[in-house]
Amino acid sequence: MGLPLFSAHDDPGPSFIDYAERNGIVRTGASSEVHVHATTVIALRYATGVVMVGDRQATGNYIASRDVRKIEPADRFTGLAISGSAARGIELLRLTQLSFEHYEKMTDRSLSLEGKANYLSPIIQRNNLSTPLLVLPLLAGWDRNAEQGRVFEYDGAGGCYERSDFATIGSGSPFAEGTLRLGFRAEMSLEEALELGALALYEAGDNDPSTGGPDFVRRIFPMMVVIDAEGFRELELDDVEQRFLAISERRTQSGGVAGGALR
Amino acid sequence: MSNYFYVSPEQLIKDRAEFAQKGIARGRSIVGAIYNKGVVLVAENPSASLNKISEVYDRIAFAGVGKYNEFDRLREAGIRWADGTGYTYSREDVDARALANYYAQYLGDMFTEGQKPLEVEILIAQLGSKLRPTKLYRIAYEGTISDEPHFVVLGGDAETIKERFAQSAPELEALDATLKHAVAALAGPDRTIPVQELEVGILEDRGGRRTFRRLSVDEVSGLLD
Repeated sequence: MGLPLFSAHDDPGPSFIDYAERNGIVRTGASSEVHVHATTVIALRYATGVVMVGDRQATGNYIASRDVRKIEPADRFTGLAISGSAARGIELLRLTQLSFEHYEKMTDRSLSLEGKANYLSPIIQRNNLSTPLLVLPLLAGWDRNAEQGRVFEYDGAGGCYERSDFATIGSGSPFAEGTLRLGFRAEMSLEEALELGALALYEAGDNDPSTGGPDFVRRIFPMMVVIDAEGFRELELDDVEQRFLAISERRTQSGGVAGGALR
Repeated sequence: MSNYFYVSPEQLIKDRAEFAQKGIARGRSIVGAIYNKGVVLVAENPSASLNKISEVYDRIAFAGVGKYNEFDRLREAGIRWADGTGYTYSREDVDARALANYYAQYLGDMFTEGQKPLEVEILIAQLGSKLRPTKLYRIAYEGTISDEPHFVVLGGDAETIKERFAQSAPELEALDATLKHAVAALAGPDRTIPVQELEVGILEDRGGRRTFRRLSVDEVSGLLD
């Protein structure tokens, strides 16, 4: 690859994708890989930020992997989660992380959170309309201008929708969503949001065969992430284990009856 | 049909070199120096938004002097090259030497074949790792590339500033001492540069992947005190 110089009239600007497509670094087009997917990822707003919780299982016709990381920091203040085709999802993650960094280096300022959310729309649209390997992301982050946590979800054609409460993606969504609907309140504390998020994921793992719940045998637990004014941070393994242990014990006490002890 | 007059290659090269040198000497200088924990780039720059120093990659920084539009285009190409290479292969495969060579080839081509040579000089700094050493590559307007062991001065009255810095800082020092000597060398004995007109960037390991950081006016005045 030579030095990528452009004249002023056809310069791709700070968009990495525009540059990469022009130079053949990324190619869009159909392929015929095996469909590995299914997931549950949740993002919910609380008073001073957002919480994201995601399961760790990759599922094909069988369990392909138990420790996939489906939530990644897209940059310091933004979390990006993926559902759908693993191959395309991982590429989407890499491309998005790089695009935000590329923009920052080219222009010496970072994209606004809304700018990041909108940037994803055409990428999803192009991917989902050109291959059967669908990808649906979930973007959540701390908006440094508005000074609040914000959540954005997408439809299959790339439409971007901001949610004022919570959003879920993946095959376990109906169960997670049901739990969130019952438990969500505006202006929750971080602790309440973490508890509700963990419970919603537990429910999804309980009912959806393609969502991995807490695995106490292997000590593999859903990822729990907090994004606030301090940035993106992942909860420690021990902390997450305690939260799921508490839910599991309550469920055991109620004889496995969901709703026996809701919180 | 227009008439062409014969110009000897020697004369042509001399004219082009003079033209480029004049353009570069008009601008203010940049000092790039290695200190005990990293690399510091110091530019005298009255503008707070038109940068001369920039991040290129995790361990690579760029500095340019001369015509802003020309070196900024090279800066953008460098970022694209680095991000494209890192995406195609791996982050650790992005090497400053390869980038410096591309710049050298391009500047060399423009010098001999372009409508006019580019009036720029650039510096590519690399913070060392297990894989690669800490390096400062200076690329001149005609494509000459040099690999400087300790420090580099670009643009303006480079020779004088180089002598001043070499005398005051013969060895590797801490960041504050290196910065002081660089600023003193840029200013010379008869004037002081206001802190607001200094653009300072460093490459230093802080535990993360990206090592480039701009120093704020407050940080710079703190280090200079």
